[in-house]
Amino acid sequence: MKILCAIGTRGGPELIRRLREVIGPGHEVRLLHVIDVGPRDTLEKYLHGPRLLRHPLPPGPHEPGPLRGASLPPAAGAAAPMDEAERAAGEAAIEEARQEGARLGLAMQTDIQKGQPERIIVQEARESGSALIAILASEGSMGRPQMGPESIGHTARFVLDHAPCDVLLVRSY
Amino acid sequence: MLHFAIGTLIFISTLAAIMIRPFRMSEALAAAVGATLMLLLGFLSPKEAIGLLLGEWNIFGFFLGLMIIAAIADQAGIFEVFANETARLANGSTRKLFLGVFAIGALFTAFLSNDATALILTPAVYAMVTRLRLPILPFMFVCTFIADTASFLLPVSNPINILILESFGAGLGSFLRYLLLPALFCIVANVAVFLFLFRADLRRHFEPGDLPKVELASPAYFRFTVVALGAIAVAFVVASLLQAPLSLVAMSGAILLAIGSWRHRQIDWARLKGEISWSLFVFIGSVFLVIRAVENLGLTDRFGSGLIRLSGSSPLWTTFVTAIGSALGANLINNVPMALVMVPTLHSLIATGQAPLGLVYAAIMGCDLGPNLTTVGFLATMFWLLILRRKGLEVSSIEYFKLGVLVVPIMIAAGTVLIWLS
Repeated sequence: MKILCAIGTRGGPELIRRLREVIGPGHEVRLLHVIDVGPRDTLEKYLHGPRLLRHPLPPGPHEPGPLRGASLPPAAGAAAPMDEAERAAGEAAIEEARQEGARLGLAMQTDIQKGQPERIIVQEARESGSALIAILASEGSMGRPQMGPESIGHTARFVLDHAPCDVLLVRSY
Repeated sequence: MLHFAIGTLIFISTLAAIMIRPFRMSEALAAAVGATLMLLLGFLSPKEAIGLLLGEWNIFGFFLGLMIIAAIADQAGIFEVFANETARLANGSTRKLFLGVFAIGALFTAFLSNDATALILTPAVYAMVTRLRLPILPFMFVCTFIADTASFLLPVSNPINILILESFGAGLGSFLRYLLLPALFCIVANVAVFLFLFRADLRRHFEPGDLPKVELASPAYFRFTVVALGAIAVAFVVASLLQAPLSLVAMSGAILLAIGSWRHRQIDWARLKGEISWSLFVFIGSVFLVIRAVENLGLTDRFGSGLIRLSGSSPLWTTFVTAIGSALGANLINNVPMALVMVPTLHSLIATGQAPLGLVYAAIMGCDLGPNLTTVGFLATMFWLLILRRKGLEVSSIEYFKLGVLVVPIMIAAGTVLIWLS
């Protein structure tokens, strides 16, 4: 059976442990981390907003205009530290989960992508013909309650609603 | 009468164009069109215009110097190193890291201006927090908020301060007497509200080892930049104390850093040139001209008497109306035009003895703090929309918005009382 395991920035090892408890050996597990472009987009729109001293970042899909910096040539590598940080965080999260899987005797493939996590997870599950998606209910931020509608984060909620296959929702984190 | 109506119409259309930016017109172009119309229609003579612009050399020099200083500090990696050192000192405690980001944000804002914090520190903090795999939103709120909240600690903390102070000739002593307490109060209020707001996110611990060491191209150059920035900060304070032109400090500092950077073979002229926003000068220059034309029409005097009529005879209430009006205006029409409208208005009031000097500081506080409203609106609604789009249930973002909007009027109201007491 093909299993797609969605790894967020935290809680990967817990998810893998739980998954290992409910599945037997011999499955094809793929770890997927999606770098969420949402916060970064918001930030860049803010940086191109009405500020006096401009610090031009490479123009994205923002409105052009000299006061917004977008018409200036992109500063070499100004956004590079943010890109690097996003990738490094993703790799660390995947590596944690992979090591836990290896310890428990699961062989896994790994993958990092960029975009809207919930959409990419659903799309990847469909394209790879996965029979199961394993995902954490939330990454536990903002003092989320353990039960009730708010206990499930927006990514998991979307995946539950749109997954083309079964979903293993792991709550214990 | 027709003359007055046409002038007013140009003024209002210019402000509207700056605000709405029709046809994706930039703010600078919108302001330049307004200024040109004022000149062509004779609301302002060319001689007066040239005299005015030359007379404002201190402002232009200050902006240019500050842009260069901020760009070179950024290239030297100062902001990354400070952000990472803060994480190291926090030693795994997210709450300490959060307070540390507040502290460096206030420090950079006080001496390098609010925009250095908002535009250069924010990406550095984003990269640091992402690496530590901590929630990003609280830290983004800190960087963007402290940039405005700490921007009336010193005259150099926000170019708007210089814009207003320039024409009143007030020194550091008077500035601190009126604004130090309100500034400290606003910072404390900001920290307290955010600690409460983000308390759940701040309970986590992080691994300081997740942060890579910042690789400096040249440690000697880095040390030089730190020392030079420290010297510039001291020079800014001394110059404000002596009421010497701050542009001289900013430009000398910029030249000092550029020479050091060149000596250490670290300067990247193309990047430096790219980081200077030339259109800003067009924008500010044009707004100066438009406001002078309006002043010639007597519109700002009417605005001033309107302000007094609106607020009655109570000085506390006048101070409050000035602060809140400046804050709303700064959101509506951008804080440069708002500050420049307030200058002649306040002049007419203070000259005729209708208002105390404290009003100048109330206007400064309003223009500085006001943009926080836009920031909250911007960050919170963006995140909110993002989440709505995903059909998820995330009540907390709306909570951010409500509390954020709440904190700004509280800061302004308390600040007003403190200014009034001075």
